Formats: sequence, structure tokens, C-alpha cells
Amino acid sequence: MKAIYGLYSSPLEAQRAVDGLRGAGIKDREITVLSTEPLEEYEFAQRDRESWMTWIAGLGGLIGLTTGYLLTSVTQKLWAINTGGMPIVTNWTNLIVIFELTMLGGVFASVITLLITARIPGRPVVPYDPAISDGKILIGVANPRKESIGSLEKALRIGHGELKTLT
Amino acid sequence: MSQASRAKQITDDLLRPLLHTTWKFYLGVSFLSCFVLAGLAAWGYQMYNGLAVTGDNWPVFWGFHETNFVFWIGISDAGTLISAILRMVYAEWRRPVTRCAEAITAFALTIGAMFPLVHLGRPWFAWWLIPYPSERGIWPNFRSPLTWDFFAINTYLTSSLLFLFLPMIPDFAIVRDRTTGFRKKIYSWLALGWQGYPKQWHRLELTMHIMAIAIIPIAISVHTIVSFDFSMALVPMWHTTIFGPYFVAGAIFSGIAALIIAMAVLRKTLHLEEYLLPIHFNNLGKLLFTMSLLWGYFVFNERLTTWYGNEPSEMAVFWTTQIGTFAPLFWTMVFCNFILPFPFLAIRKLRTITGCVIASCGVVVGMWLERFLIIVPGLSHKPLPYSWGSYMPRWPEITIMVGSFAAMILLYTLFSKVVPIISIWELKVGEHYEHQAAKALGAAEEAGEVV
Amino acid sequence: MTHRWGMAVDLDRCTGCEACVTACHAENNIPTAGPEEAARGRAKHWMRVERYWEGEFPDVSAKFRPVLCQQCDNAPCEPVCPTYASQHNEEGLNIQVYNRCFGTRYCANACFYNVRFFNWGNPEWEKPLNLQLNPDVSVREAGVMEKCTFCIQRIKAGEINAEAENRELKDGEIKPACVQSCTANALVFGDLNDPESAVSRLAESPRGTKLLEDMGAKPKITYLLRETWHESSVKS
Repeated sequence: MKAIYGLYSSPLEAQRAVDGLRGAGIKDREITVLSTEPLEEYEFAQRDRESWMTWIAGLGGLIGLTTGYLLTSVTQKLWAINTGGMPIVTNWTNLIVIFELTMLGGVFASVITLLITARIPGRPVVPYDPAISDGKILIGVANPRKESIGSLEKALRIGHGELKTLT
Repeated sequence: MSQASRAKQITDDLLRPLLHTTWKFYLGVSFLSCFVLAGLAAWGYQMYNGLAVTGDNWPVFWGFHETNFVFWIGISDAGTLISAILRMVYAEWRRPVTRCAEAITAFALTIGAMFPLVHLGRPWFAWWLIPYPSERGIWPNFRSPLTWDFFAINTYLTSSLLFLFLPMIPDFAIVRDRTTGFRKKIYSWLALGWQGYPKQWHRLELTMHIMAIAIIPIAISVHTIVSFDFSMALVPMWHTTIFGPYFVAGAIFSGIAALIIAMAVLRKTLHLEEYLLPIHFNNLGKLLFTMSLLWGYFVFNERLTTWYGNEPSEMAVFWTTQIGTFAPLFWTMVFCNFILPFPFLAIRKLRTITGCVIASCGVVVGMWLERFLIIVPGLSHKPLPYSWGSYMPRWPEITIMVGSFAAMILLYTLFSKVVPIISIWELKVGEHYEHQAAKALGAAEEAGEVV
Repeated sequence: MTHRWGMAVDLDRCTGCEACVTACHAENNIPTAGPEEAARGRAKHWMRVERYWEGEFPDVSAKFRPVLCQQCDNAPCEPVCPTYASQHNEEGLNIQVYNRCFGTRYCANACFYNVRFFNWGNPEWEKPLNLQLNPDVSVREAGVMEKCTFCIQRIKAGEINAEAENRELKDGEIKPACVQSCTANALVFGDLNDPESAVSRLAESPRGTKLLEDMGAKPKITYLLRETWHESSVKS
């Protein structure tokens, strides 16, 4: 069997199913939770919340800042062209380009971190059921051991969900 | 109604425009496409024959094209800004509105970013603004406001397209799961393999939060930098420090108006009466009213300081807008931006959907006139009176302008056909927050904590 | 020592004949706009004579002055060009690099003397006027900005000749087309770094004034006021 899972109509039912699975000895990492909306208030959806993304975005901003500073002031010195009697390296105006590149650096860093950590574009997770697009929540276990299927079925039924298997 | 069945109903309603198309859609698209093609043809004609076919002249070197540039960039400022600010303050009513707003930004910005190419004498060299190593010594001048424009607009375009696209991914996954055949293939590709497990949700929401914080300063900087295209030159009534905040306020003003109009049209044509509620228009109407007052404040500031200073070059420009050649346009602008919206937005009874749309239409016209009146009167009355001149648009500029409006509506229409215009997952989250809040209130009332 | 080119315009001598305007057109391959385009405000005169009428008939007087690129030291047109097409060279000239220009026209807006012109279309000369083009000056295509260069081709030619003959340039040796053709000798061109040159001495003249001086562009053209104007401004 590739996977066994239940489809639940409400987050409370899904929470009961997750607690049941934990009671059956399944580790959190092995429990698949899928939904078409984030369920922030529920305990079962809290995992993997910690992230370095904010710091990485800051680092990206710093890289953008440095790039902006070097791009403007170094090239202005290298090709020193007099325009309007202004200084050759005009730091006040360079601030504008530096600002834009800083923000762009932060944005790119966040998005790249998202793509990598959320694994998008990525391979499909097993199990997946298109029924979740109707608002159902999927709680399941992939590649369950033959002996534990019985207890898993019992645990998943606690939430009064629709039980399905994937072979 | 259980959570899942409510969620299903939301999904069904919001996917209906994608899955069912009527003849009206095809008619609309064909009609708009004609104008867009006309605009593109006019641009081609202009590129072939040179800018001699426009109304630009000595000394009014900038006219309709630059007006449209500032106008569209202005409209683009508000959408993402509103979406980001409302996200950050957790204003729950923003949920059906955010994607409409972000789409306005994306398309207005794309159209606005075309106009610098349209106004160039030799647009085929526009890539010289990109800093690339060149053995011919081509390099952009970082002291020029137009170079700042290049960096600012590209940063804003990239960020707002990402800001629009990222929250669309879970919705694309929903559409992927609901469709078959060719459509399913396209949406699978667009959904980037999104599954919907908690880590993905947390990362997506964190990214949206970071981007909301980042995009607010970007949006403000973009229109400030566009204002620098004018305030950095010593043209009478251009060289004023008020232009930065004035342009940003005007941009947000015109953008909210465009958003209100877009939402009202969507509500009618896509039958979204259950989702785009009068309260949304009421709230946006209040914002629009605030911006109208703010706009009036800026205009008063600008005019009073000019008049009081009585500097000859500036007064020449001042009088030409107040009582001279440009006076009819100026007073129309004041009427459209300030007088007309006032009753419809200030009086609660009149702040209905229709009222807000009437006020918004006025604002869109008024703000276009404001851009025109900033650019042309100043250039036509520079310090040496011998060089005073005038400006009349000719058909290529007018056609390109009409084409740009048609392009905006067309892009928006196509977008609402291909993407759920209201973010399905965000709406569902809002519903179950409400549900939670109602439950909590109910429990508190029972416990006697709330009267 | 590097040169610093400047000009003096004696408004007392100027008769408003516009020979300078015509000579400039001929020397610098400036096409005429034609009546239709001129009516649309597309006429290009790198050197123009501005005329103002003062007073009511019969006490009318005409005030006129030739206006050309002032070659400002703090040129407002230079920082705003995104491609460095408008820059300052070591001899103090504001140079327009046609090949770098892609026609944003910001420099034209920034210039408060309105001495910058745009090529709205490709230039055309009816035969046989095309045979009259000056081979030392490029013909600018549509979409490019242009303006008075102090006849930089003549400056360069003069400098090259002097170097070839191993001598210094003499004052008055280089004459832009307008200076050469002025019937009243109202235009004087020379090296402002040479204290003995005519233009340096005229720049110190008590009649000397700069156009729109208070705007801070530091123009290098000194206008010598007419004696009658000078008196009336001193009296009041």
C-alpha cells in the first residue's frame, strides 16, 4: 500500500485524527497534512514554522546595498565624466539606485528562499487527493507498515472522515 | 453550513468565471483588441516617421506620452500599496480586494513602463540604460533621474509581479485539481507542484509578509522618483520640493479610484455580489475621500506658495493655469478631483457602490488632467518669453493613449478569465477567522463576559 | 595651458540682421523646417535673434539679442541626460554626443535658455541644396538632440593646425561661423584662460552681463549692454 489517509470536513476532526495517529505511534514527520488554506490556529498545522527567511531577506538586502554602492561609485570614478559641474561621485543621487537595489536584493532573497524551502516547483507529495480543493483536509501516512494498517485505520476513523487508501 | 461545504461553495463561485465563458466575453475582448491594435499601429507609424507626427515641439518637448507615463505609473502605485498596507495591519476586509488591487498594479505598471519607450526619439537604443560592460563606452549616467526611473520601475515591476503571482500559486493548484485535459496541464505547470502542506503555507505567508513590508517603501520611492523627472529641472513650477509627496499622494488617489471602478465592473460582470460587498466599497470610498482631501491640501500648498512668492517666471505659469489658456482644464480638474467626489464620499448615505464609482470616474479624469497640467504649462512658459509656446496633441498621441486604456481593460479582462480574481484561499482563511471570532464571542457571551 | 572658450556679444553693435543665424545653418548642416513644421514650432535655429517690442506707438522700441548655447559651467542639461550624451569637456564646452543620444529630450526641458533642439524627423535638403552640406559636420538623424557647439569643428581644426605648425593659437584665429559672418563685429570669440584675449577683456567690461545669471548655470557668454540700456538701468 502506498498510502492511507482520511479526508476531514473540519479542522477539529483533522486535529483528532492527527492525535489518534500520534497515539498509534506515528511520528509527526511521517504524518502528511494537506489543505487548500493555511490553518494557523490549529496545532497540527503549526509544524515547520521556524525559518531563517527574515534574516536571509536582510542578507539579500545587504548584498543589494553593496552591489548598488559599488556599481555607482566605482563606475563613476572609472569613467569620470563632468556633467554640470557636479562632483564625479554623487553620493546623494547614488543613494536612490542603492535603495532600489537593496529592496530588490531583499525581495529576491525571500523569493529564492521560498522556492527552495517550499520545494516549488517540486515533485508531488504522496498521498495527494484532488478532493482537498473542495475544502477537505487530508491527514495521512505514506508507505505504512503492513502490521500497523489496522491501528492506522482506527486512528483515522476517530475524526469521522472519509477513509481512503492508495495502492 | 460546515466549513468544508462553505469552502466548496466559495471555490465553486470563484472558479465559475474561469470555467464558463459567455459570448459577451468574446465580444468585449474583440472590441478592446481593436483599440489596442490601433494604438500599436499608431506607435509603429510614429517610430517610422519620427516624433514629427506628434504635437511635441519647441519648447514643449513633453506632452501626451509623458502625461500617460506618469498617469499609468501613478495608477500602479496604489494597488500593491493598498494590498500591502492592509495585509500588514491585518485588516480582514481586504481579502476579496487584494488580488484585484495587485492586478491593477501589475497591468498599469506594464503599460506605464511602455511609455518611456514610446516617447523616445530612438527607442531601439533604450537598452543603453542597462549597465552592461561595453567596449564602445556606453554606460548609463547615475546622476540622471531617467536612470533612477529605470531602476525604480524595474524593481517595482519585479516585486509587484512576484507579489501578485506568489499568492496565486495555491489557487492555481485548486484550478488544477478541478479541471481536466489541456487546461489541467497549464494550471499544473502554473501551480509549480504546490501541494499545500504546512511548511509550504508557512513559507508562503512569511514571504508575503516580508514582501508586504518591502514593497511599501518601493511603491513610495517609485512615484517619488518619477516626480524627480520634473522637480530636478529648473522649469517654473516644476522645481519644487512638494513634488515627491504630491505625486505619491496623487498616485494613491488615482489608484484607489481605478480599483473601485474595476471592482464595481467585476462585481456586475462576474456576479460576485456575495463577495464584493457594499462594505468594501464603503471602506475604499472612505480611503478615496481621505486622499481627495490630501490632494486638495497639496494643491493649496503648491498654489499658495507660488502666488505669495510672486516670482515672475512662476507667476507666468501660475496665471496660465488659473485664468489663461489652461484654465478650463485646471478648473475641470479641481471639480473632478475635489468637488464632485466630496458629496459622494463624505455623506454616508451617498457612499454607495454607485456613488463611489461616480466619484472614482471623476478622479481618474481629474488625475489625468493633473499630470497634463504639471507638464505642459510649465514647459510652455519658461523664463525667456521669446521661447513661450503651446501644445496640441495630434492623432498618434491620442490613439496611443486610447490604446493604453483599452490595453488595461483588456489585460484585466483576460486576467479575470484565467485566474480567480478573488483569492480563494485567502477568502477561506478570512471566513474561518470570522467563524472563530463568532464562536469566541458566543462563548464569552455565554460566560457572561460580554454584555 | 588648456583653453576655455567663451564669447562676448556686443548688443550695442548688433543690428539684428541675422547673418549669424544663416551662417550657422550653412556651417552646421541645419535643415530648414519649412512653413508647416515651423508653424508647429519645429524650427531649429542654433543661433537665434530674440526680438522684444517695448512701449506703445509711437514710442516703440525693439530690443533684440542673439541667443545661442551659453556653454554653461554648471549646465542644467548635463546631469539629466541618462546616456552621457550631454557632457562637459576640458575646454569648458558643453558637448552633445549625437551617437549616445536616444532622444529623451530631458536636456531640452532642463535648459532654461531653450537653446536645445530636437530632430523631429530625418533631415532633408531639396536638390541642389544637398551639395552645400559641410563635410566637417555630421548630419543628425531623427530622434537626436542638437545645439550650438561653438563650431567645435573649427576649434579642433584650428588647434590641429597650430600644433602642426608648432605654435600657439593666436587670439581671434578661430572664428565660429556666426562670429565670422557678423556684419557689425558684434560677436567676439576667444580663450577666457588667456587674460590678454579680446573676449577676456570684454568679459570684465562694466557693460557686461550674463543672461539669467541668477539661475546659477554660470554661462560663458557675456552680453555687453547697449549704452542706452546701461544708462537707464544705472539711473533707476
